[in-house]
Amino acid sequence: MSKEERERGDGKGNGLILEVEDIHTYYGSIHAIKGVTLEVHEGEIVTLIGANGAGKSTTLRSINGLNHPREGRIRFQGKDITNEAPHNVVKMGISQSPEGRKLFPRMSVLENLQMGAFQRNDRSAIAEDLERVYGLFPRLSERKSQKAGTLSGGEQQMVAMGRALMASPKLLMLDEPSMGLAPIFVEKIFEIVQEINDQGTPVLLVEQNALMALDVADRGYVMETGVIAVTDEAKNLRQNEKVQKAYLGIE
Amino acid sequence: MASQARTEPPSQIAALLSRPRPSLVAIIGILVVLALIAWLVANFVKDPAEFVNVFLIGLTRGAVYALVALGYTLVYGILQLINFAHGDQFALAGLLASSVLLSVFNVTDESGAGIVIVAIGVTLLIAMVFAATTNTVIERVAYRPLRQSPRLAALITAIGMSFIVQNVALGFYDTQFQSIPRLVPNSDVFSVGGVALQWNKFFVLLLTIPVLLALTWLVTSTRHGKAMRATSMDPDAAAMMGINVNRTISFTFALAGALAGAAGLLYLLYFTTMRFDTGFELGLIAFTAAVLGGIGNLTGAVLGGILIGLVQEFNEGLTVLTPGGDWTRSIVFGILIAILVFRPSGLLGEQTPEGG
Ligand SMILES: Nc1ncnc2c1ncn2[C@@H]1O[C@H](COP(=O)(O)OP(=O)(O)OP(=O)(O)O)[C@@H](O)[C@H]1O
Ligand SMILES: [Mg+2]
Repeated sequence: MSKEERERGDGKGNGLILEVEDIHTYYGSIHAIKGVTLEVHEGEIVTLIGANGAGKSTTLRSINGLNHPREGRIRFQGKDITNEAPHNVVKMGISQSPEGRKLFPRMSVLENLQMGAFQRNDRSAIAEDLERVYGLFPRLSERKSQKAGTLSGGEQQMVAMGRALMASPKLLMLDEPSMGLAPIFVEKIFEIVQEINDQGTPVLLVEQNALMALDVADRGYVMETGVIAVTDEAKNLRQNEKVQKAYLGIE
Repeated sequence: MASQARTEPPSQIAALLSRPRPSLVAIIGILVVLALIAWLVANFVKDPAEFVNVFLIGLTRGAVYALVALGYTLVYGILQLINFAHGDQFALAGLLASSVLLSVFNVTDESGAGIVIVAIGVTLLIAMVFAATTNTVIERVAYRPLRQSPRLAALITAIGMSFIVQNVALGFYDTQFQSIPRLVPNSDVFSVGGVALQWNKFFVLLLTIPVLLALTWLVTSTRHGKAMRATSMDPDAAAMMGINVNRTISFTFALAGALAGAAGLLYLLYFTTMRFDTGFELGLIAFTAAVLGGIGNLTGAVLGGILIGLVQEFNEGLTVLTPGGDWTRSIVFGILIAILVFRPSGLLGEQTPEGG
C-alpha cells in the first residue's frame, strides 16, 4: 500500500489522531514552547526537526502529560488530554521512547519490555507483541536476561523502542531514536520506524538527523526556539532552501 | 616485592602496578574484623550457652530495628529522601498501641490468653493502619509539594516533621513513660543445656519473619512492587509506562508506615514501656542499620538491623574484654560514621534499591 493510499484511500485515512493547538509550556519561568500547533493523522509518520533547544522534547513532554501546557489544547482521538496525568495518557494509547532512552538499568531486557505493557492485562496479546518486538529486534531476544544498564547504546535504543511498542500504542512518539548511534545502526533504526508504521502505527518522530527523518516521514514540522517555523509535506521540506541550509547541510 | 618486580618483563610490571594494592584503610578494616572475630570466639569459648543467649537477645532487638530500618530504606529507595519523621511515627504508633491495650481492652497482668491474643491482634492492625495513614499524609502534605525543589529542602522538612510528630506525642502523652503489663510472658519456650529462648523474644521473631516474607513477595512479585522498582529507578520513565507515580509513592509510604506501626507494638510488648522520644534514638539506630546495610537495599536493612542489634547486645551482655553498656551509643554511632566515611554504599549497597 502506498502512502497516498493509506492517507486517503481506505476510509481510516485522514482520521485525525492528535491535535496540538497553540500550546505554551514552561519550565518554571522559562517559556520553552511559545504557541506550537501540530497534527498527526492515521497512518502517518510526522517528523519534528529543529536545532538543539528548539523545544522538540518539551513538545513531546507536553503531549505525554509530564509537562502540562499553561495555554492551548491537546486532543487525542477527539478527547482533551491537555491536563491528563501521564499514566492516563499511556492508557489512552500514546507511548514514547524518550530522549536518552531512560531504560530501567537494573532490570533485564525482558523486564524492561514487560514494563512497557504495564497498563495492559491481555496476556496473550502481550505475548504476541513481545514476539513482534523480538521479530523487529532479533538482538533483543538474544539479550533477554541481560541487565539493560549493561547494553550498548544501540541495543538500549532498541529496548527503548521495543518497550514503547509493548504498550500497543495508537500513537508512537520517538525522541531522537538515532542519537549517538553508528551510521549502520541509524539506517536500521529508520528502517524499523518505517516497518512499525507499515504495520499500522502512526509515528511522531523527533530527530536531529533531518535528512533521514524527512526520507521516512510523510510530513514535517521545523521548530525554532519554541515555535513552528515551517511545516509542509516531507518531500517539499527536502526541497525547501531554508531547511536545506539550516538542517540538511546543503548550501 | 618491588625489587622482585624490577627483574620481571615490562608487561608483568605494568600488570603488577595496575593491580590495586590494598589500601591502609582496607588493611585496618581487615585487622578490626579479625580482632572482632577473635573477641567473639574468646567469649564463645568462655561460656557457650551464655553466648547463644546473648545472641538471641540481640537477634530480637535486631528484628525490631530491621522493621524500622526497612521504612527508612523503602522511602529512600523511591524518593532519595531520609524520612527523619519515621522513628517518631514508630513511637507515636507504639504509644497509641499502649492506649488501645490499656483503655480499650483493659489488659492486666491477670488477663487470660484468649483476650490477650485478640487484643494484640487488633492493636497490631490499628497501629499499622494508623502509622501507614500518618506516613502517607506526611508525604502528601510535606514532601510532595517539594518534589521538584532541591533535595535539601525536603530533608530539612523531614527534620521539621520529626519534631512535629514528636511534639504531637508529647502533647498527648506528656513526658511520662507509658507502661503496659507483660502480656507475652518471659517464660521459656525451651531450655537446653543453659540455652533458653523466652516467649517474649520468640514472639517478636515469630511476627517479624512473616512480615519480612510478605514484604519480599510484595516488592518482587506484585504489580505494586514492579511499579515501586520502576519508580525508584526513574520516575519519569515509570510514568511513561503508565505507572501512577504519585500513587506508587503513597503506597511506599503506607508500607513503610505499616512496618513502623508493627515495630512500635512489638517494641512495646517486648520492653513494656515507651515514651514520646523513644523514637528519636531508636530511629537514629534504625537509620544507622539502614546505612550499614546499604540505604535503599531491603535485604541490607534487615541485615543492618540484625547486626546492630547483635552489636548492642554483645557489647552489653558478653564478659570477656567487653566495653559495656556505657559505650553502646558511641559504638553504634561510631559505626554510622565509619560507614559514611569508608563505605557510604553500605555492606550490600552495590546491589540495588528495592532489591532489583
Ligand atoms: N528541565 C528543564 N528546566 C529548565 N529548562 C529546560 C528544561 N528542559 C528543557 N529546558 C529548556 O527548554 C528549551 C527546550 O528544550 P528541549 O529539551 O525541548 O529542546 P530540544 O528541541 O529537545 O533540544 P535537543 O535537540 O537538544 O534535544 C531549552 O531552551 C531548554 O534549555
Ligand atoms: Mg530533545
